[in-house]
Amino acid sequence: MSEPRVHGIVLCGVGGQGVLSLAQIVLEALRRTGLYTLQSEIHGMSQRGGSVHAQVCYAEVPLSSPIIDEGSAELLIALEPLEALRYVAMLRVNGHLVVSEEPQLDMDGYPPLADVYGALKAVRGAQLVDTEDLARRLHHRQAGGMVLLGLASTFLPVPNSTWREVIAQRFEPKGSLITKRNLEAFEAGRGLAPAKTEA
Amino acid sequence: MMDGTLALGVEAVGCAAFDAGIKGAFGYPGTPSTEGFEFVEAMIRAEPEGRVAQWAANEKVAYDLALGVSYAGHRTLVTMKHVGLNVALDAYANSALTGVRGGLVLLVADDPGMHSSQNEQDSRRLAEFAWLPCLEPSTVQECYDFTLRSFELSEALGVPVMVRLVTRLAHCRAALTRQPTLAPAGLGVVPRERVQDWVLIPSNARHRYVELLAKQPRMLQELRAMNTLVAGTGRRGVVVAGMGRAYFQQLTLEHPALAALPRLEIAAYPVDPALEAAFLMGVDEAFVFEEDYPVLEARLGLRGTCQVHGRLDGTIPRTGELTPRQLKEALALETEAGKAPSSLDLPVRAPRFCDGCGHLDAFEALQEALKNLGHAEARVFGDIGCYTLAAQEPLSALHAVVEMGASISMAVGAALADQTPAVAVIGDSTFGHSGLPALLTAVDAGANITVLILDNRVVGMTGQQPSQALDQVERMVLGLGVPEAQVQVLAPLPKQHMVNVRAVEEALRHPGPSVLVFRRECIQSLRRGVLKAHDREEKARLEQACCTPEVQP
Repeated sequence: MSEPRVHGIVLCGVGGQGVLSLAQIVLEALRRTGLYTLQSEIHGMSQRGGSVHAQVCYAEVPLSSPIIDEGSAELLIALEPLEALRYVAMLRVNGHLVVSEEPQLDMDGYPPLADVYGALKAVRGAQLVDTEDLARRLHHRQAGGMVLLGLASTFLPVPNSTWREVIAQRFEPKGSLITKRNLEAFEAGRGLAPAKTEA
Repeated sequence: MMDGTLALGVEAVGCAAFDAGIKGAFGYPGTPSTEGFEFVEAMIRAEPEGRVAQWAANEKVAYDLALGVSYAGHRTLVTMKHVGLNVALDAYANSALTGVRGGLVLLVADDPGMHSSQNEQDSRRLAEFAWLPCLEPSTVQECYDFTLRSFELSEALGVPVMVRLVTRLAHCRAALTRQPTLAPAGLGVVPRERVQDWVLIPSNARHRYVELLAKQPRMLQELRAMNTLVAGTGRRGVVVAGMGRAYFQQLTLEHPALAALPRLEIAAYPVDPALEAAFLMGVDEAFVFEEDYPVLEARLGLRGTCQVHGRLDGTIPRTGELTPRQLKEALALETEAGKAPSSLDLPVRAPRFCDGCGHLDAFEALQEALKNLGHAEARVFGDIGCYTLAAQEPLSALHAVVEMGASISMAVGAALADQTPAVAVIGDSTFGHSGLPALLTAVDAGANITVLILDNRVVGMTGQQPSQALDQVERMVLGLGVPEAQVQVLAPLPKQHMVNVRAVEEALRHPGPSVLVFRRECIQSLRRGVLKAHDREEKARLEQACCTPEVQP
């Protein structure tokens, strides 16, 4: 008999990129799938352009710890490549990394981009996404987060219809056009997933 | 209605207060407590029915407002962060003596690890100091349930009750199950025969203190059911409280053997010494997992009956947040080896001023003026807010940041000790919070200080709540007695740079208190349109006023 598994997701980026909103969508989608969920987030001064991260845990049994231990997360969703590197060690050995290639360079001492990409590519299970290019092709400047979520969603036990429902509800107050664009971005992200080798 | 919706821990406290039938909610913003007030404020706005939610100028005012509601016979909630309770401590400690009429619950959010604070003080110590009960939830649902229970306890014991959260729980989001909402039902004002309880002149206060101490056994009795002794096997036990309780609970999922350890689960303070003794009898060794100060650990250690492990013996680091990893290591459980950390050197991405923030223009004017007058090395006293970021490189424009309002008083002290120039930088909201009395003293002392009030019209850092000093700062300054010639309102904009530099120079040269108000709305609140409606109404009012002939005095 195996003990119930606690699954962890880490989301990270820079203040203002929408890390916390994305985390809330993930949380709500998992919850609607019938899983027990918890989310931890850090607000306050970190929102002023500093590093921001949130964690989402889920399991089939009630949870009480909102924090994931190092080396135990299954998925890291990073809206910024350098920020991703800060949290790589949160991932379990066979964990997945979905990361935007688009850097936020407004800080001191940003390492050469080639080094950052090199370090990310060295992470087994890493999928780098050219969100800038996709945003251009989708004619949606802020598509990045949703594209990453689309790709990340393929690693999570949530039906596509639930994702679409949660995203639609989230953007509903902003109008039907914005909702449609975000759903398109999400689908574009899902389309990036490598074909599954088994059914 | 809202069953199963998602809420943060602090929001769950606000929600429970609403459901408990509060008449009034009060607070002062401060991470991680802010959303607790905002949540209940939104609920009250949607369904007022005689309820009020009001931000206060500072935490002491907020607490006194709540105490007034209690006096009037209604339930009330007051919210603040841990260091805010220092500001409200006079009110809090003395309300233990007056007691309450309507139930009074104090939400305090501590910040171990100092994510957004200047210290990591533990509010449980202040509850103990004031001889008052403190409930400590470990999950979002408990935040809700314990708050409901706190109102009952407050009225049953006749004292204020603290609900203590820490950052991780305050900002943990989870599903919440609610109870039916009670309408605010007043008990009526403090009756004539109890009025002396509330008049803390020494003859009454001595009496009330005796009564407060006499309530302690009843407190232990009421709280006993919230603290649990779980029998187990072996002579090695654990004591868990708050997030320590949450982390331990989760560890037992992955390591079911842990559930067999004898343990003491603490959710309410003061803890019955008999319960502690019963736990200690059954163990030779105890691990204490609590968040922040070693409060329980120190108590148990003093009894000297067994080996106690925690922050004091180095099993857990003495400072910073408690983590699940620390529990695993203390209990010698296997930790997972995950992916290797990046070998690339990762520079810190520090928080920074928003692009186009008016504070930057104000600091540039200040630094240039100081340089022009040969004071490039001048020390500047700062305060708490977004502008505190100026203490960092590359600006390094602030050289002391201690606590709310300290900038002006410290500058006055330094000026009286012959420091020239003595410059203070403070935000509009912080000025309203505790800068006002400091400036009153500055005027009385005739201190040679220059005060820059960075007025962005909102409480910027905590989410752009409207400032209570909105567009009134210069009138307040004049009212405190700063001569009109020494008060200027400036626009912190790049195109105004030279005008601003000259104004700062003039203020620095003046031998006495002078105040420069740099006013430009926070660009975040501008983007969100926080003050749009206010400004529209104000404009209409002014237009109306200029068309109405005024009566000359």
